[in-house]
Amino acid sequence: MLRASPDGEAMSGSRILGLLLLAPAFVFVVLFFLAPVVLTAVFALTNMSTATGITGGAYQVTQSAMRELGERHGEQALADALARVRYTVDPAGIDAATAEGASTALVSELDRKLAGESFDSRRELERAIKALDNRPRGTRALKSLSALFERSIVNTRFATEEEFFGAVAGLGIELNATQRAALLATTYTGWTWTSENFSRMFSLPDTKRTFLNTIIYVFATLIVFNTGFALVLSIVTHYMPDRPAGIFRAIWLLPRISPPVLYVLLWKWLAWDTGFLSRILVPLGFESRNWMLDNPTNAWVFIVLINGFVGASMGMLIFSAAIKSIPVSLFYASEVDGANRWQQVRYVILPQLRWPILFITCYQSLSLLTSFEYILLATEGGPGGATKVWALAAYLTALNNYAGNLEYGYGAALALVLVVVGVILSLAYLRLFDFKSLVAPPPIEQ
Amino acid sequence: MRILLEKFTKSFGSLTVIDEMDLEIDDGEMVALLGPSGCGKSTTLFAICGIHRVSGGRILFGDRDVSSVPSQQRNVGVVFQSYALYPHLTVAQNIGFPLMIRKESNADIARKVDEIAELVHIGNLLERRPAQLSGGQQQRVALARALVRKPDVLLLDEPLANLDAKLRLEMRSEIRRIQRETGITAVLVTHDQVEAMSMCDRIAIMNEGRIVQIAEPMEMYDNPASDFVAGFLGNPPIAFVDGVVTNGRFATASGAMTVSLPFNAGERERKIRLGIRPEFFRPGGTQPVAGKITFVEAQGRETLYDVALEDGQILRSIQTATNAATVGEKVNWGIDVERILMFDEDGARL
Ligand SMILES: Nc1ncnc2c1ncn2[C@@H]1O[C@H](COP(=O)(O)OP(=O)(O)OP(=O)(O)O)[C@@H](O)[C@H]1O
Ligand SMILES: [Mg+2]
Repeated sequence: MLRASPDGEAMSGSRILGLLLLAPAFVFVVLFFLAPVVLTAVFALTNMSTATGITGGAYQVTQSAMRELGERHGEQALADALARVRYTVDPAGIDAATAEGASTALVSELDRKLAGESFDSRRELERAIKALDNRPRGTRALKSLSALFERSIVNTRFATEEEFFGAVAGLGIELNATQRAALLATTYTGWTWTSENFSRMFSLPDTKRTFLNTIIYVFATLIVFNTGFALVLSIVTHYMPDRPAGIFRAIWLLPRISPPVLYVLLWKWLAWDTGFLSRILVPLGFESRNWMLDNPTNAWVFIVLINGFVGASMGMLIFSAAIKSIPVSLFYASEVDGANRWQQVRYVILPQLRWPILFITCYQSLSLLTSFEYILLATEGGPGGATKVWALAAYLTALNNYAGNLEYGYGAALALVLVVVGVILSLAYLRLFDFKSLVAPPPIEQ
Repeated sequence: MRILLEKFTKSFGSLTVIDEMDLEIDDGEMVALLGPSGCGKSTTLFAICGIHRVSGGRILFGDRDVSSVPSQQRNVGVVFQSYALYPHLTVAQNIGFPLMIRKESNADIARKVDEIAELVHIGNLLERRPAQLSGGQQQRVALARALVRKPDVLLLDEPLANLDAKLRLEMRSEIRRIQRETGITAVLVTHDQVEAMSMCDRIAIMNEGRIVQIAEPMEMYDNPASDFVAGFLGNPPIAFVDGVVTNGRFATASGAMTVSLPFNAGERERKIRLGIRPEFFRPGGTQPVAGKITFVEAQGRETLYDVALEDGQILRSIQTATNAATVGEKVNWGIDVERILMFDEDGARL
């Protein structure tokens, strides 16, 4: 603790030194803890995806853009006009004709008589060409010449707004202000700011499902294994002789220290249609199947087991240590007071484990909330999304989509919800633990 | 309830801590187990209450062999050295714990807790938790918890070790009073001889896992069976002088001290050891011995002196604080020879 020193100069000196020493920690906190959260929040307010890219975009009249223009902005006529193919005798076309080896006479005549003319169909253009003095001989030559003047802005990328509107004007289409705005909105291929991610999240039925899955996942694993089973393990090993107890605990640590991919592979091997379970069950008259992915209930059982076996070890260690720290004389006293094993657990051990249990519950609920690696490896959220939890949904949306279009923005919005829930829970838990120091009254000395 | 240990043996692995101990404690009697640290006092206590299984021999409560009865069913009240109060329970809940375990009704528990709390004078502390109590208060709670279910036997493992001198004095008489009032058979483990002498009907002195002597306090003080027992009882402790006796005359090897003994130690010259309690070496004692004062400790009403003989052996003297002898002074005080204790080479009383 820093004490106020009467010497002001020394004080400010030590304060600067303290800040200097803290600076690296501060930089790391900002870089590795704060920045990701801020970026997540920023991404969540955009519609970034593989399609938009994460840098700027261009303007492009695409099929879907035109559909949107008609449906969302009521500009079907404009959309049709933009989508139409035209034939325009422009300098680019004339140059192309020269390059294709058209005679100089034809080229100059085209330039003189038809330059700037625009035709709605190829037939009209060809009729005009046929009317020329130096018209090409033969249908083939005519066709290849007329093809050079085919003009459409569909699927052409325009880097800037001016270029795009220039091209539209070149098609002979006049735009009013609302049409310009609608066109820009629908044809822009880059990302834009939007709050749509959230309205989408709340309207999709998938969200509710994912939410419920997350609750099942966190609470089932937490209650059954991370706290419940951990308690059982620590209490059972407490009553065992030291050596077997140590071995027993070490065995339960194995899942924690084995590589997750291998660990889950073992479970998959256990559950495969030709795996261990089937080997045993098929001769008993059961049908061979993938026991893990056969139905949602099975999938959940496996998910909870896989996560629980890993998660129980931490609680077991913490609880074992807490039980060890109970003075042995308390056990002696309760024995001579008549308490049997169960009463000892109920009246001596459990009351002393109140804070460790609360701590494990809080800590593990936070880590379960954001963990999905074992689910990803085991079921990938299947069957049919039955085991897809929130964090996994965020990951799949933003980073590993079947469809190939990674929706960074929506994924970030999903992740942001996790961050917010996590922060709220953390604050609540911190208060709870601080509360502890407030409620423990100082001993009253006589 | 009479307690009987018959050839009680206790070993931890290959280490035998107690070997074939016999001990009988009468109904309503309070016996002290007194001995140096590590001699097996707590081990004996834990065997009586069933926390430790006996490795051999039998333990009987009355006529019932309880050697293999689990501690839950022995109905023994124990006050542990560390009190072992349940930190998460209030004083009332701590005291009522054995009754709650027995599933007695809440009203019964409340009544009995109140009664016993009055007995040990902690009626005003019932809602506190152990952490909010002083050492002496905790000790009384532990005592109340041990007594509340009317145990057949009360075991106290150094219950006063953590208390200050004044409180210790107070609790000594209080425990004795309660033990007398309830008529309970009690065993007190201690390594404080004053505690053992002032509180108990009989004292069993233990050394290295065996009982070397068991007797009433004054009897043991006056007639110790060995130099070990003599050395253990008495404060300030007895002084020993080694030498040889020939024809009833004792002399140290260097001849620094010679006294004629009033009892017959045989004709033959033999090595013996004399035990002289401080109160029997004083000015005006029957047989004078010359020495030099090396240490003076004023204890208020009395003063304690260490007197070195010429060969360096030390005698102790305690006198009412009137004599003004100082360190370095040569003195010629006398020993009351009738009160000398005599031991043979192995320490056995002659
Ligand atoms: N659980 C145990 N395992 C092995 N040795 C033990 C165990 N408990 C006690 N001992 C040994 O038994 C001997 C007697 O121990 P005990 O606790 O009975 O001594 P004590 O007379 O109560 O001593 P103190 O006055 O210091 O409490 C000691 O040497 C001790 O090391
Ligand atoms: Mg002890």
